[in-house]
Amino acid sequence: MISSSLLVIPLPDNFAFIRVPWLPLSVIFFSIMTPSFFGILSAWFIGFVADLLQGDILGQNAVALSVLAYISYRFHLQIRVFPIWQMMIVILLLLSLNELILLWVQGISGQIFFNYTRWIAIVIGALIWPIFMTLLLNIKSKVDW
Amino acid sequence: MPLSTETTVAQRHRYSAYRLVFTLIFSFGIMYLDFNGKYLNTLRSYLSAAVYPVHVLVNTPKNLFSAISGNINKQEKLDLINQDIKKENIILKSKIQQIYKLESENKRLRALLDSKPEHQNELIFAEIVSINNDVNKHRIMINKGSRENVYSGDVVSDSKGIIGQIIRDHIFGSEVLLITDPEHAIPIEVARNGLRSIAIGVGNYDHIVLNYLPISADINKGDVLITSGLGGKYPEGYPVATVESIANLTGEPFLEIEAKPFAELQNINEVWVIKQSITQPFNIE
Repeated sequence: MISSSLLVIPLPDNFAFIRVPWLPLSVIFFSIMTPSFFGILSAWFIGFVADLLQGDILGQNAVALSVLAYISYRFHLQIRVFPIWQMMIVILLLLSLNELILLWVQGISGQIFFNYTRWIAIVIGALIWPIFMTLLLNIKSKVDW
Repeated sequence: MPLSTETTVAQRHRYSAYRLVFTLIFSFGIMYLDFNGKYLNTLRSYLSAAVYPVHVLVNTPKNLFSAISGNINKQEKLDLINQDIKKENIILKSKIQQIYKLESENKRLRALLDSKPEHQNELIFAEIVSINNDVNKHRIMINKGSRENVYSGDVVSDSKGIIGQIIRDHIFGSEVLLITDPEHAIPIEVARNGLRSIAIGVGNYDHIVLNYLPISADINKGDVLITSGLGGKYPEGYPVATVESIANLTGEPFLEIEAKPFAELQNINEVWVIKQSITQPFNIE
């Protein structure tokens, strides 16, 4: 499980041309499905590494991802049994929260950029969630038990 | 009441809330330090050196692919490319012969005027490791760092024109801020008449913008913009961009000028890092 989270880090950072927010999606997935291994501290660490790789203000992604991980963990038992369309709505909300936190931090630090492509990325992220989830669950079942 | 010795759901929720508060405080502290005091720069350079392999790892397949596909060319195409390169070589060599004459004449004139001797800039060849995919951040990573005597503040240029400036360096590589990044400003002057201005990026690879030039300014379409050297960051005389469009909106006191950079910022492969050597002390009589 830890190795799969390590693999996830390079992927989300550099395949951004497809405009899918891989990093929050992976954090949500791992917090929901494997809460015993992946908690707030792991999410924070991954966010920190993402900041280093992207050259952002240190801690920006870390904060956003820890908040995401906390919310996902708090409701993980309920989210796991939602029907797919409800899950997609939750993902949409969580991704928007992530974007909001990042925009807050960037706004305070003076790097204000308003780009509609970010919102498109959120919508695409929510739409891609079912495929993403089933893919990772398949891999998980082959690796785990 | 818990049925076993394991923690209850409520307790686990409380522990995770504690963790959240801790990470929040810690992250805000780090953000504050990084943003305000720049205290974390050394730490950041060490950590960046540690995660540098990730950059290389992720970009290797892409680079390998483009290298391989670039090498598999038809024989005729290779011959054509070869001929073009030979022609360019001849033209460049004949231009170099004129440069010798110009250099010696320049030295003589400067000696006559008793002016500051010219810098001899050293060029370090570098390759791009990765490109930042964020649309609003025009940054690239190159593979020369403090190990090769490349530090932040050095200027990076293409074979055609200036690309940008190094903002962060660690041992193995450094990060370059391109001239088209919205946070970048470069002091330029018009080559024709010496009119000075500052060109700022707007997040568009195709043009940079000159602000605050009055309507009466003597600037035309097609003018070449070179670095003016003011501010000490950029060495003077390097080509930056060419003026593409000048718009004079009614009611606005300033012109809206867009300039197209010489360097091909979307297709960068090899770049030069310009090291400015220490000049000799200025003699005042």
